[in-house]
Amino acid sequence: MMLQIKALHLENFGPFKGKQVIKFSLEDGVTIIYGENMRGKTSLLNAIRFVFFGKVIGRGTKSMPLHKVGNWEEASAGRHGFMVRLDFDDGGHNYELTRRCVLKNGVSSPSSDDDYGIEHYLKKDGDVLGPQQAQAELKRILPEQISRFFLFDGELLQEYEDLLSNETDMGRRISEAIERILGVPILTSARATLHHLKEKSEHREATAAQGDQKTREFGNQLADLHAQRTELGKEIERLEGDLDKARSQKASLEEAMKKKERVAALLEKRDTIDKLLKQIELKRIAKEAEVQRAMSNAWCTLLSEPVRAVGKSLRERESELQTELMRADVLKSLQVNAGAPCPACMQEVSLEAQERLQASLHCLSGTERAKKDVELSNLRRKIAALQQYEDSGHEGVLKILWDGLEEILIDYSAKRSERDEIDKQLENVDEEALRKTKFDFESVIRQIDVIEKGIAKTRAALDENNADTEAIQKRLNKLSTGTVDSERKRRQLFSELHSLFKEAVGAYREQLRKRVEADASTHFKALTTEPEYAGLQINGSYGLTILHRDGSLIPVRSAGAEHVVALCLMGALQNNAPLRGPIVIDSPFGRLDRNHTRNIVRALPTMTKQVVLLVYDDELPPDLARSELKGKLRGEWMLERVSARHTNLASLKA
Amino acid sequence: MNFDKKTIGIAASNASILANIASTGRFASELDAAKFAMAYAIKGGATFGSFDSVDTKWNVGSFDPDGSMRALLEALFPDAAEPYRLAESLMNEGIRRIGETLGHNGDFYEAIFSST
Repeated sequence: MMLQIKALHLENFGPFKGKQVIKFSLEDGVTIIYGENMRGKTSLLNAIRFVFFGKVIGRGTKSMPLHKVGNWEEASAGRHGFMVRLDFDDGGHNYELTRRCVLKNGVSSPSSDDDYGIEHYLKKDGDVLGPQQAQAELKRILPEQISRFFLFDGELLQEYEDLLSNETDMGRRISEAIERILGVPILTSARATLHHLKEKSEHREATAAQGDQKTREFGNQLADLHAQRTELGKEIERLEGDLDKARSQKASLEEAMKKKERVAALLEKRDTIDKLLKQIELKRIAKEAEVQRAMSNAWCTLLSEPVRAVGKSLRERESELQTELMRADVLKSLQVNAGAPCPACMQEVSLEAQERLQASLHCLSGTERAKKDVELSNLRRKIAALQQYEDSGHEGVLKILWDGLEEILIDYSAKRSERDEIDKQLENVDEEALRKTKFDFESVIRQIDVIEKGIAKTRAALDENNADTEAIQKRLNKLSTGTVDSERKRRQLFSELHSLFKEAVGAYREQLRKRVEADASTHFKALTTEPEYAGLQINGSYGLTILHRDGSLIPVRSAGAEHVVALCLMGALQNNAPLRGPIVIDSPFGRLDRNHTRNIVRALPTMTKQVVLLVYDDELPPDLARSELKGKLRGEWMLERVSARHTNLASLKA
Repeated sequence: MNFDKKTIGIAASNASILANIASTGRFASELDAAKFAMAYAIKGGATFGSFDSVDTKWNVGSFDPDGSMRALLEALFPDAAEPYRLAESLMNEGIRRIGETLGHNGDFYEAIFSST
């Protein structure tokens, strides 16, 4: 089956004012739609999404309100609503799928999606299908779960990196979608049906055994075990349902947290700074107390120089006075002991010399002597008073302490400014909501853990039940009775078929992985510009890792390489899927250099029959596209600006 | 007869400056700051000056519990008959000078360590 788009009709969808149409070639190849930013490339991708699924997606993966999708110029003129029609071919049938978003009766000034109604219908070979039939056809032609492999934003190719880790819910969801496009669910559904039939036949066997005297006891036991197994099965189903819900809640919380990542990082940084500020504050208090203790004697330090100067002069005076008083004492003793030998040389002093001495020397009077003594004693008191200040403290020590404190204050002030800056950035942020998201995320992780343990425990009980059932069945097999025998054969048949499909699912998955790996590697070798890369290696979740020619794996890759690998996976899936269709890519080359762009453009026609590229000139220069695609370039369109809210679709090449 | 002061006061114009100096967190009390200001004035070559109407802040018992300050001032200023009056005067002058430096956008650190 191969879906092929023939024409896209738009009416007042986004910037596409009025009725406009793009026609696509029915021959295999690539159609390129050029448009600068804000001209409506993403709107075209969304128009296809809307016509199939009734949804419009904004940047990222969040649904956009339909109220905002209608053409703004028309809306300001009072004309609301929009329409998309897709003409396509699938399995040799012509389809026309139309979806309209129209104002509800009585509404003239819409303010939300509630003011609109959605109408859609599907025509097959000219006949309008009934709603249920139309829904079934659409589900078959393009199930929403796998639409990500047909309609995608180049920027979101980054998500495929999650396939390399088994832990993320995004990875799990993509992995499930991959199995869906590859047709694995057909086998798994068959396996589930056989399991149901096997269970049913076991119940019938138990009932038959209960009807016979010989086997009644075993029959009763099997019936009990069957009833118990049914309950355990329901419990597992319930728990798995809860687990799915919890996981999808976790995924949406993860997404919400991702969007608020910057804010969360800021909050975390602020908390760290607050802790640091507290530590610095404690340091400041301790240092300040140290400085204060030192500063209580700083006044003495300040005076040490003048104190030393005064002390010096006082000591000089003390020395003078001491000399003077000693001299006076010597003279006095000479006067008193006239005739005695000289106290210095112990020789006789002649009378003549004695007279000369007494005439020339002036002796201190008693009063004078007492004054000098007082002066000396005052001097000594002052010297003693100064002495305790002469060496009290050193300015160098004070300076070190002050510098230490200043350093702490500068550090505090720098951290404080950093915090104020963060506060400014967090001004209009709802911190409470963010904390709640984080809290909910942690709760859901705990919940998932509890459910997983519950599932494991129930599965263990189920295994035990199966072992018991098998043991009883073995014993029952020995007691042959007519009815039980035929029920046993039925049960054995379903049991063997179930085992067969169980193994088939595993084997098919393994084969698919090998095929996807081989095709992805072929695409990769054509796309990569690195000659040392030998291909790609697939993991259990369809995650692809680049393989070097020496056999080692390349553990890290750039965003550009990620896009190349994701495109290879897309191509490989298209090659191996029972359901194929066009690939419509928005901005696929934004992160790629010219050589990779060239290789990809050249390889696109090998990936699927119909490719639609939504690009801007610099991303894919028209000359490059023409020279690489040559005859495979089936159409070129330009998104022409009429006004900020009005774009026209113009064909460049028929 | 000794008429020296029994209390030490701060001029009204200096009260807020002293409070500011003390609030920098570098001194444990206003008394420590005031003593520092006195030393700052002495170091800067100030001599006795008069300040009108001082408000009593401390008595000399708490200002100079062991009399060593008095002895120091007597040693440094032998002509001062009233050391505590002199101390009060120098203290106020020091506060005024520091206030002046800080008033001219001076840094307290600079004010202190340029004089030490």
